[in-house]
Amino acid sequence: MLAAVCLKEWLKVRWVWLGLLALHLGMLLYLFIAIRHQFRVEHSEMIWYWAFELRRLLYEPIQYLPLVTGVLIAAAQFGPEMLGGRFRLSLHLPLRGDLLVWSWVAFGALMGAVLALLDALALYWIIGRWFPHEAAVSAVRTALPWLLGGWVGYFGATLALLEPAAPRRLVYLGLSAALLALLFQHRGYQEYDQVLPVLVGIALLFIPAVILPAHRYRHRS
Amino acid sequence: MTAAIQVEQLAHRYGQRFIYQDLSFSVPEGKVVALLGKNGVGKTTLIRLLMGFLRPSAGQCQVLGEPSHALSPRTRARIGLLFEGHLAYDFMTIAQIERFYRPFYRRWRRELYYDLVDRLGLSPDHKIGDMSCGQRSQVVLGLIFAQDPDLMILDDYSMGLDAGYRRLFLDYLRRFLDEGGKTVFVTSHVVQDMESLVDEVIFLQRGGAVKQLPLADFRRQFRCFGFQVEGDAPPQADGLIENVDLHGREPVLYSFAAPERLAAHLATHWPQVRLGDEQALTLEDAFIGLTGKY
Repeated sequence: MLAAVCLKEWLKVRWVWLGLLALHLGMLLYLFIAIRHQFRVEHSEMIWYWAFELRRLLYEPIQYLPLVTGVLIAAAQFGPEMLGGRFRLSLHLPLRGDLLVWSWVAFGALMGAVLALLDALALYWIIGRWFPHEAAVSAVRTALPWLLGGWVGYFGATLALLEPAAPRRLVYLGLSAALLALLFQHRGYQEYDQVLPVLVGIALLFIPAVILPAHRYRHRS
Repeated sequence: MTAAIQVEQLAHRYGQRFIYQDLSFSVPEGKVVALLGKNGVGKTTLIRLLMGFLRPSAGQCQVLGEPSHALSPRTRARIGLLFEGHLAYDFMTIAQIERFYRPFYRRWRRELYYDLVDRLGLSPDHKIGDMSCGQRSQVVLGLIFAQDPDLMILDDYSMGLDAGYRRLFLDYLRRFLDEGGKTVFVTSHVVQDMESLVDEVIFLQRGGAVKQLPLADFRRQFRCFGFQVEGDAPPQADGLIENVDLHGREPVLYSFAAPERLAAHLATHWPQVRLGDEQALTLEDAFIGLTGKY
């Protein structure tokens, strides 16, 4: 059954996911070329000064990439379910509704995680080519709230798409936007190191929460 | 005989507006039962209640022995649902959708699905979203057959189908039902199709009044008579007279009563009315006669 669930989810997201893969690769290539260009036209000392004295983030172009990814994967997964009430087809499958919805979001989150992992590894490699190992690790840790933004974007969009009542949809979107605003506040390196575990804890609440709109969809009165 | 569907004192409302307040009927196992009613009487709401997508405001709605809004996965596996408009996963192909559904059903009969779908002459890679409504109806019916359900709930199977595909749908359905042991609860706007399909009919009327009876009894007992009125006070529905239609060229009235009893009733209560000849009725005529044109 799990294979069948994965088949359906893959059929829905494959083109969006492959498009996103191309977008991520393109953005990472752009980042690589941009940083290489900086080192060709500027003295290394100047770039060091920008990066570590002025605290300019050299990899800001990929800041919102995970968020866009999360929202698009959710739209690709749950848009077709909600069109014409197809969600009812899934809810009639002989499988517990909560397990079904969790298996869907597990698949979507996994697809997003693959791209997030690609971003993290590529960022580590790109920064590590011109900076010391510590700077490469710092770049990944600085980007972690952005990657978490992808998770929040995915679950926020999922909740809003599955929810049958418009006012609640707005509440879900508002809460997700507030959490996203918290994740995109920084102006320097590793500013979220202390608070990130708390934010991750809050973001994990999306996992049980996603059952609610599905339950409400099924048991409308 | 045990009931596949048992509805008792069901009430449902949207806001303050009650659709039904005391609806009761049952669908016996092994029977084909049609739910007929005019637009707006609550057929779709009832189907949604039975499918478990609405929770009743009050009363009981049991499907295969379980409350319809809390069906266990095991019971859901025994119910084949046809959603209005032949709803299906449009993004899948003929082969993909069969591969998707197969692992969910232990009694899956792949051959029934392909027996139906192969007749379309389409490639297994043909996307469902690119099919006509008629072609999609066969895919959906094939999936329900393959599921081998004990109970089928078919919501307006005729929607969007031309006469040919409608006939095809019924032919395959009848052939499948010939295997025996299946219960079907069906709604349709094409009343004449029910003639050769169903055992019993349930007429749902505005306000939730129901009349359930075997189709053969309905066809035999429900009658239509022309009449003439002296003066300008035509008869009205009164219990024995089910309905009066003054819209046609000749006024007619409908009743379950035998002609002699009806004539006696008219003589007592509506002496100005002279009963005319009994008129032949198709099932559609009879349906309209019972439920009215408006």
